[in-house]
Amino acid sequence: MTTPLDTVTREQVVTTICTVLPRVTRGELAVATEDTRLMEDLGLSSSSTLELMLELEDALEIQINVEDIDRDDFRTVGTLASFVAGHLLGEE
Amino acid sequence: MTAIEAVATYLPEQRVPVERLGDELGLSTMEVRVFRRFHELADVCRAPGVSLVDLLLAAARRLDALRGSEHRVRYVLHARTFPVVVPYPVNPVHEVSRALGLDDALAFTVTHHACATGLLALDVAGRLLASGGEPDALALILTGEKAFTRDAQLVPGSSLFGEGAAACLASADGPRDRLLAYAVNQRGEFDDELSTDPAGFQDEYPSALAETILAAVDRAGLRLEQIGLILPHNVNILAWQRLCLRIAFPASRVLLDNVPLTGHVFCADAFVNYETACARNLLRPGDHYLVAAAGAGLGATFSAMVFEH
Repeated sequence: MTTPLDTVTREQVVTTICTVLPRVTRGELAVATEDTRLMEDLGLSSSSTLELMLELEDALEIQINVEDIDRDDFRTVGTLASFVAGHLLGEE
Repeated sequence: MTAIEAVATYLPEQRVPVERLGDELGLSTMEVRVFRRFHELADVCRAPGVSLVDLLLAAARRLDALRGSEHRVRYVLHARTFPVVVPYPVNPVHEVSRALGLDDALAFTVTHHACATGLLALDVAGRLLASGGEPDALALILTGEKAFTRDAQLVPGSSLFGEGAAACLASADGPRDRLLAYAVNQRGEFDDELSTDPAGFQDEYPSALAETILAAVDRAGLRLEQIGLILPHNVNILAWQRLCLRIAFPASRVLLDNVPLTGHVFCADAFVNYETACARNLLRPGDHYLVAAAGAGLGATFSAMVFEH
């Protein structure tokens, strides 16, 4: 049984995004890296990026504060990981 | 200057949680969870067995200011998200007019600005009244629809429609809730956007609505910081949080409390939120506030109005 995390590192988030991405892209993904562009390379939409956030919350047992999220944060796996690591609910 | 004389609304008591709607609409578990977790949609109102006419009448009959003033009503407008909501020759706006004793009023439907049609109807009503030369004349604007098809229940990835209705009495001029400015941005390239290019519309949505809001504020001769409150359309909360970031307006001054309670009540959102704002004394005499709406269907429309309470 896992314990809910109070904090996650950016690297943990990058790894987890790459793990859960196939669920959101319905398996249409070979390999993702930090520089993979979520919309241009993977074809994610606004809706599917939110599904990705929910998959991340489930996998890492965290809650993400999405109030300040903007389109730029969804640019790449890396930018999303930076946002998530810096916007965990319960940390403020 | 067009003025709002009175507003009344009707929201059915029955609430349906998003999970049940998701089952009925065949949404995935993840889609439903995104609605609840990020869009903060929880319940929508439903009035099974209640016709569109009865829905509109329920709101109009709560309009105390209408009683005794029926003879002053020159126009009855039904502002609709969907151009077709009943089979020919049924005509809800005529039936409602008759039931309210407004047989002498010219009754018609306003459509094609999708969920922003409520604001269009208010603008049209004000222009008609101003050109009529009767200072005491009134227009009755009705909003609200039945969630009768899949398209009338769901905006994929964005929102869920709820049933309800609003009735608004408008005059050509008046002391309160004076319309200072109206801005509309129509985007024909999003014709049939829901089936062909939902991502394109979603990408364009924040900037297009932001531009429209700022245009309306500018036309009113105001600065954004002079707007005390925004009455939104109740599409979802996340869209408004992103929009607020874009225009540097505090989300705490957008009345979002009804989003989880009612969902997106077609063209009635603005009036439902107006009534909530008044009930909570959020508007004081002289306050400036903005009403914003966006709709998509056969083209997209982004609209904003600035009022002085």
